[in-house]
Formats: sequence, structure tokens, C-alpha cells
Amino acid sequence: MSTANGSSLRGGAAIVGVGTAGLGEAPGFNAMDIQALAVREALDDAGLKLSDVDGIFCANMSHTFPVISTIEYLGIQPRWIDGTNTGGSSFVAHAMAATLALQAGLCDVALICYGATMRSGAGRMVPATEQPVYEVPHKPRYPMTAYAMSAARHMAQFGTTREQLAEVAVSARLWARKNPQAFERGPLSIDDVLGARMVMEPLTVRDCCLLTDGAGAVVMTRADRARDLRKTPAYFLGGGVASYNRAVSEMPDLTSTAAKDSGERAYAMAGMKPSDMDVLQLYDAFTINVILFLEDLGFCPKGEGGAFVSGGRIAPGGELPVNTNGGGLSFCHPGMYGVFTLIEATRQLRGEAGDRQVSDVETVLCHGNGITLSHQATAIFGTQATL
Amino acid sequence: MASLPKAGPDQAFQEHVADGRLWLQYCDDCGEAVFMPRILCPHCSSLSLEWRPVSGRGTVHTLTVLHRRSRPGEPEKINHAIVLVDLDEGPRMMSHLPGTAPEDIRIGMRVRARFEGEDGARAVVFDREEGAA
Repeated sequence: MSTANGSSLRGGAAIVGVGTAGLGEAPGFNAMDIQALAVREALDDAGLKLSDVDGIFCANMSHTFPVISTIEYLGIQPRWIDGTNTGGSSFVAHAMAATLALQAGLCDVALICYGATMRSGAGRMVPATEQPVYEVPHKPRYPMTAYAMSAARHMAQFGTTREQLAEVAVSARLWARKNPQAFERGPLSIDDVLGARMVMEPLTVRDCCLLTDGAGAVVMTRADRARDLRKTPAYFLGGGVASYNRAVSEMPDLTSTAAKDSGERAYAMAGMKPSDMDVLQLYDAFTINVILFLEDLGFCPKGEGGAFVSGGRIAPGGELPVNTNGGGLSFCHPGMYGVFTLIEATRQLRGEAGDRQVSDVETVLCHGNGITLSHQATAIFGTQATL
Repeated sequence: MASLPKAGPDQAFQEHVADGRLWLQYCDDCGEAVFMPRILCPHCSSLSLEWRPVSGRGTVHTLTVLHRRSRPGEPEKINHAIVLVDLDEGPRMMSHLPGTAPEDIRIGMRVRARFEGEDGARAVVFDREEGAA
């Protein structure tokens, strides 16, 4: 039976397989190549075959019709096809859309996937070709300008400091040092971040995510089937999306994102609250993102995110583990990062995260951010015990 | 079929700019000023939007400074400040201040609009208002 907050979806599907490929650098391969490797790894992880996939969810920036090109490359003929592209948040939103499609019987095995090779290809972040026409004449750099403007406003309005922003980068690095697959694993101090090359005030190059190659894939099934598969399921408990604007100049409040709404929707569906979350995977394209999302998702009051992250609170050993893989800042960031929040959530819930494993993880909140603080998607996953 | 206004919103904005006029759309129904130009009011969905002159005065809401790495043959780094300006009439726009050094721009600074660029590609830019802190 449908419910006003979508809670009929709660526990209705689970992530049963995850895979990655080409993390870091994959010279000589294209986005579809490494995406296919990640897809095979995710299916092997689940004990399923490519021919079992009958629902697909996919977005990217390299193809005009990403999901169609993916279907062709993989040689599949799915009966449910969703190419919703909301930027890097797409894949977190796809987890909810996949749960909906699975519950409705539109598909039985849903595949969510992404791949990109901008680092080996163009050697730079390749932004979307269509950009806001009233912003372009002023020579912004997308997407960075939007985040720098938000950070500057957050500092002016709430007294947030560059040291507090740097703390986010240092925490991510400390997690990455525990992850053998992370791209950047060298030591990093607050002074290193502050002294790094200034790119766009107030953000230095170390306040900005990596630009790597990489692919990720996630397989979902309905909960009843998930229990019979190879790995411990990561159950979908709740999700939400929200968007108010494309351009940063159209953003109603530079220091408050639509994550407030996507988060409230996800908590309502899950019947949970921020204090119920054991681990967070927050889309950290820039250090300011983590501060904004901790505030907007209810972990601290608006304006207090800078103080909240201080003193190692989100680092290994801290009170609230955030971005346990090292995040987009230190693990990998191939242009769109959202799928990697789902993959790390699954690994933490399964207890497969090795040296970075957080103890007694029952719930993980994944949060995806798209374009220039333009689209927000939240999804909460949990173990069998949370159903 | 819905009837079309006299000119497309972007075209009308550019025609005013080409004549050196900063005009924005105002909603006849809810009274809000609208930017970017649109066919309907994003506040109340009204189709009754009319073009009116605005003061061109505003306040810097936020800014960022791009630090460009110098390329071979370039003597020094060139930093480029990009701002969001809140117009006194309400709407916010991205812009820059061609005549003001990046280090002299502050959040909260009062600014005044002018136009820059060739015919057909003019943009709204700002200067620091005389006597502004």
C-alpha cells in the first residue's frame, strides 16, 4: 500500500553487489570499458549474471545518452531503463528509483553504474557543455566557482574559518590512509591544506576533490531475493531528492542547500533521525560540502558545521565517521562521485572495509550532490537488524 | 495554442542592454522583480511580466577570486574576481568588477551597474559605488 512519505519502499530492496574498476588512472581505456569491468565485478559479488539484469540506471557527462550507450556496450536488453541525470547525485537518487521499480515489478535485478576517464582522457574536469548563459560572460570556472562562493558566504555569515575547511580535507586523508585503493594516501596537515596552491578563494587545491579515472557499479534486488544471494544485503531504508536551482546565482540561500529537504524526506521514509546514523558518506567535491551537508542533514545547527568538524570529530576515531573511504577529496573522484557513496556504505554494512571498518555499523547515510549545489539526494541503508 | 509575447525574454533583455538600459521583468500579479529573464513568474507562475528600468544599484553578496597560474610569456599571475550582486530590486546576478582590484572587493560593498563588451555580447558589470566602504 502506498503511503504519503513513501515508507512502503522501506526495506523493499537491497544492494546485493558492488564493484569498482580503473580507480585512479586507466590510460588506454574509455569510460564504457572500465564501467563494464565494475559492472562485472558487482555482478560477481552478488553471484548474478549480466543476463539477469533487467533494469538499468545510469548517468554520465561523456555521453549524450549515457544509459543507451551503456545498454549497447554491455549487450543487455533491460525492460526498465532510467537515465535521469541530476549530476553527481544521480546514483544516490537511482537507489531510490531502483527500489521503486523493483517494488513495482518493473524489473527484478537493477544495475546502477558509472564510469569516466577524464584524468587519462582530457586531463581535466570536463564540465557540461551547456552552462547558465547569464553567468558565462563573467568567466566562472565550473563547478568550482559555485562552491567557492558558498564557502566565502559561509565564512562571512557564520565566521567559518579556512582552518575548519582544511579539517575536512585532513579527516578525509586520514581515512584514505586506511584504504589501500585510495588515490592520495600521503600525510596531510591543516597547514599543508592552507599552504597549498590557492585555486579559487577561499579554496586551495587541497580543498578541492581529486580528478581521477574510475568506475563503480551497484546491483539491487528486492529484499526477499537479496537474502538468498551471496553477500549480506544492505537494505534501502529511506530516500529523498530535492532541487531548487541549476545556477549558483539562482540559489535561494548560498549557505543552505536542498539537502535539508532531501534529508527530511529520507529520514521520514526510514522512520529515523540523524542520531540513528552510524556512518555518513557525504559527497565531498569540495571541503565546504561536508560542512553544508552536516548542517542541512541535521547533525549540527546551521552555521556550526565548521566548529562541528574540528578536533577530528569526523576523522578515524572521531565521534561521527564521515567518508570512511577517503571521499572525493582523497579516495577518488571521476567527475561524478555519487555511486561511490553507495559502494562504501555497502562495504561498511557488510563489515568488509578492512582497516577502515567502523565497528557495529547498522546504518549508513549516503548523500549525493549534483552540479553546482543544484540537486541533492539522500539514501539511508541498514542491516537486517534495522528492518 | 498559447500566444507568444512580442519578443523572447532573452532577446528583450539583450535589446535593452544594447541600448544601455538595465531593465528587468516585473510580475503584474505578485509584484516581484525577475532575473534571469523568463516567460513566467517563478514566484507565482503568472504570465503577466513587464519590462521596467531598475536602479542598477546593489550589494556584493559573495565573491571568489580565481588565481590563474601564469603561462609561459606571461609576466605575472592575473587574479579574476567573480561576484554575486544582490540588486536593490531583489534579484541576484553573477557579475564582475572590471575596474576594481580583487583585493578591494568586499562582501557587503555597494556597487553600481554598467555595461561592458561589444554589441551583441554585452554583459552587466559593476563598479564600486562612489564613497562606498
